[in-house]
Amino acid sequence: MEDLMPAIAIVAIFIGMPWIILHYITQWKKAGSITREDENLLDELHDTARRLDERLNSIERIITADNPHWKQTELPPPPSITRLENRR
Amino acid sequence: MSASRTNFYLDKQNRKWLGVCAGIADYTGVDATWVRVGAVLLTLMGGFPWTLIAYWMAAWFAKPKPIGLYEDAEDAKFWQGVRQSPARTTRDVRSRFRDIDRRLADVELYYTSRNSALANEIERLR
Repeated sequence: MEDLMPAIAIVAIFIGMPWIILHYITQWKKAGSITREDENLLDELHDTARRLDERLNSIERIITADNPHWKQTELPPPPSITRLENRR
Repeated sequence: MSASRTNFYLDKQNRKWLGVCAGIADYTGVDATWVRVGAVLLTLMGGFPWTLIAYWMAAWFAKPKPIGLYEDAEDAKFWQGVRQSPARTTRDVRSRFRDIDRRLADVELYYTSRNSALANEIERLR
């Protein structure tokens, strides 16, 4: 038994320890990163969101130029309708 | 196939020595100055040969950052977020889509309700 101790220690240090360390490194890399397909998908979604955002901004600007109070729930009547009412 | 934006790269454009610290700064989003100060402090406080060995290993194994990897600063910040936490970035993108949906619903409501108001007025005038 006394003779076996150094052999066990050497096996534990030079095979067991690197094994455990590499095992946890690979697990950590798998958990922390995303795959290539996910990366491309995320890139595309991010780009689409940005473009949609820009388009919506310009649309909202156009509507605001048309009617500044369009976001309120109580909409002031459009000018054409008031004119019709006045004529009546 | 374009270069992956989730890899570690050496940042040769902003390098002081071999670009490892600038690369770490670019990867994590921490300011490059703090990364360098941390590296120097770690070296002085007992990590003497090991930090240098790690530095050379990183400089040896990592590829330099491809030019034009990010379109602009906003893009670079987005990918820093992805590297820190892909799940959080995905949630951010989802919330942006929800915001777009909500605003588009406002526009839709405005046009449909205004047209119905107009239709009611015309109906009353007949």
